[in-house]
Amino acid sequence: MEEKKVTPKYILFLQVFSISIIWVLFISVNFWIINLISLSRYLQDTQNATLVISIIILPLFGLLAGVLTYVFVGLRKTRIRD
Amino acid sequence: MENLRNDPDYTLYRPILESDRRFYWMIGFLSVVILWALVMYIRQLVYGLEVTGLNNTVTWGFYIINFVFFIGISHAGTLISAILRLSQAEWRRPITRMAEVITAIVLMIGGLHPIIDLGRPDRVLNVFLYGRLQSPLLWDVTAIGLYFTASTVYLYVPMIPDIALLRDKTNTKLKWLYTFLSWGYEGTERQKHILERAITILMVAVIPIAVSVHTVISYIFSMTLQSGWHSTIFGPYFVTGAIFSGTATLLVVMIAFRKLFHLENYLKKIHFQYMGILLLVFSLFWTYFTFSEFLTGIYGNEPKEMSVIHYKLTGPYAPYFWTMVICNFIIPVVILSFKKLKTIPGILFASIAVIIGMWLERLTIIVPSLSSPRLPIISEPYFPSMTEWSLFAGGVAAFCLLFLIFAKIFPIISIWEIKEGREEGLNEAKERLDSYLPDTIISEEEAT
Repeated sequence: MEEKKVTPKYILFLQVFSISIIWVLFISVNFWIINLISLSRYLQDTQNATLVISIIILPLFGLLAGVLTYVFVGLRKTRIRD
Repeated sequence: MENLRNDPDYTLYRPILESDRRFYWMIGFLSVVILWALVMYIRQLVYGLEVTGLNNTVTWGFYIINFVFFIGISHAGTLISAILRLSQAEWRRPITRMAEVITAIVLMIGGLHPIIDLGRPDRVLNVFLYGRLQSPLLWDVTAIGLYFTASTVYLYVPMIPDIALLRDKTNTKLKWLYTFLSWGYEGTERQKHILERAITILMVAVIPIAVSVHTVISYIFSMTLQSGWHSTIFGPYFVTGAIFSGTATLLVVMIAFRKLFHLENYLKKIHFQYMGILLLVFSLFWTYFTFSEFLTGIYGNEPKEMSVIHYKLTGPYAPYFWTMVICNFIIPVVILSFKKLKTIPGILFASIAVIIGMWLERLTIIVPSLSSPRLPIISEPYFPSMTEWSLFAGGVAAFCLLFLIFAKIFPIISIWEIKEGREEGLNEAKERLDSYLPDTIISEEEAT
């Protein structure tokens, strides 16, 4: 029978921390883009272009954060040991 | 560990488990070069940009040339790897990891260059606080930020099965890191399915992101009305040049690691020949774009445009321009078109020529246009200073150092993909081949 291995607590902490960092990055990019949009509105400066670029950028960052979370959570949930 | 020695792919684990003196000598030498570059950069911070060769007219020099050059090389990786994976090219297996690592590392180095180019690097924060998306410079920041994130994720996710192998089979000091990064991967069918799905999403997403990055970089130039820059084909021209220089860099890295880590059994002549064909095709594409770019300029005969063209073809930048043509067209086409010359040393020579040629291409795009200003001011010649050369050497050394460190921690060739290729690749390829070929026509007599 295979020896049962348990993931150490600090590894679990690092893993949860890294998922949080990914989402903090995504939220920061959102805030930054919102800042750029409000600045362009305030200056009445290429508002449409700003919106179009934001519409492209934000879902892509969201997709990357989503894929990583899907992989991390999926792998941890489907492991046999622990 | 003894079991691991009997593994048919032990060669791929060896760089992680064993180190010879050469490795530490290289790390030491590269660290010294980087330290020297750091000292020169601190000197630049103290004295300002006067320590560079930049002047009133040529305000973008070595740093921006290197920025475009390094970001261009980054296309080696993710783009080539994603396209090869998507097209299910079986020969990709030992190549993709190296390509992906190149991307992540050169993006880090390339992305630093615009900050180095700032006399006051602290002002980079203004981009985030008061940036305006009206400016192509900000498009660059967002595009490179997105590309770096995407390519790092795209490097990491396919690496998880290998990290799990290292966690289970090795007993190094980095076991905790492998446990952390492998996320409990055990190779179950469900886990494989999760990874496959994630890799498919990433490779589809990463191709347009990679293409957009170098298009956006070309916009820094083509969105201005500067002679020699204001061109509609700059987007595809830059993307082609980027893949061209990226392929050459990948070939050099493949040959170097093949020699250094004795990977002759994995990186075979056929891999270099296929990559050589890619290099040849992009050499021809690049020549076509360069020709188109010059033909439209010369035909239009606009005085300012012609002044830049003369600078390049017959003026002070002619030696760089014609060396670029020799390196990017004549050498690769001659070497890669003839079977006798298309050996591994030949391909290495052609690849190094292309890397030099592509660097000169960035130089001949940026400097001659700035040396020929629209305003009636006398342009001073641009000569890069010791500081700029040192920082360039530092950038190259940082690339080599980070690559070596990566190879010391993670397998430089994807072990699980090689195993999968052995176990399933043959059957998959046969199934695919059967699906392409027309069905055997059975005559009516035979059918009855």
